[in-house]
Amino acid sequence: MDGDSSTTDASQLGITGEYMAGSHFVLAQAQEDEGDEGLNDHEDGDGSKDNLREQDIYLPIANVARIMKNAIPQTGKIAKDAKECVQECVSEFISFITSEASERCHQEKRKTINGEDILFAMSTLGFDMYVEPLKLYLQKFREAMKGEKGISTVTVTEGMGEELTDETFTNPLPAGIITADGQQQNVMVYTTSYQQIPGVQQLQFS
Amino acid sequence: MSAKNMEKVEQATNRKNISLPMSRVRLIMKSSPDVSCINQDALFLTTKATELFVQHLALSSYKNGSGKETNTLSYSDLANAAEESETFQFLTDILPKKILAREYLKSLEEMEKDADNL
Repeated sequence: MDGDSSTTDASQLGITGEYMAGSHFVLAQAQEDEGDEGLNDHEDGDGSKDNLREQDIYLPIANVARIMKNAIPQTGKIAKDAKECVQECVSEFISFITSEASERCHQEKRKTINGEDILFAMSTLGFDMYVEPLKLYLQKFREAMKGEKGISTVTVTEGMGEELTDETFTNPLPAGIITADGQQQNVMVYTTSYQQIPGVQQLQFS
Repeated sequence: MSAKNMEKVEQATNRKNISLPMSRVRLIMKSSPDVSCINQDALFLTTKATELFVQHLALSSYKNGSGKETNTLSYSDLANAAEESETFQFLTDILPKKILAREYLKSLEEMEKDADNL
């Protein structure tokens, strides 16, 4: 638990005597406000990272919530704290896979983490049911990328904050930065509809 | 940006078939110690896997919890899923079962008392 930014005053934390996590004192909400302002706009890479601790970097809650919503039966609802929680779990998952993959890279004296490392890490960590579908998705992705080399740069307006509602997604959005130099370092893609690839089996999560 | 350009871009992104920002995923990956370079395939796979993970976690937790009347996916459903499933065990540290604020503050006071007595 952090000694620097925590407070024991319940009123400052904004809790009204409701539940809060036993070990995390500072709720996810507070962190979200601080961390994401820097993350929504610039992807500077150099300065912006200094203020962020590893655990502060999350994926946008709107995207996460949408995926969750599409996964559960239509009549189901999702509590707000569940969405925030999954946001954190996601960062944890990414770090989990990445460190496993990174370790393997080091063992084999390689510097770049490649696709195989990621797939192997997933197998090792109990996510081998993802591997086959992922290979298919990767194939489609590569094909899509090939077709894009001719498209010129488009700017993305990062007006997409954390308050995206479902309505926002029914309208076409400017999609992402697609550079023509082949680097593709800041590709950010938002789709307006979550599409299933024909031929890829639906994963059964029983 | 012209309408035609926008259309092209949209088609392209739909074909890529992901709905999470890869640049953000990359940021999270880079925050792991000793990570130097991540190739494009690895980044895509991680992003896509993350989507699958969200679906997996949400659905599993929801199913576990839907024995009750409410059809809402709650925090405790997630915490239970982490505890009960081997796949999600790695989440148990960040998904502690919640306690009431006043209980926590009480135990904090008691801890401080103990520290004073030492």
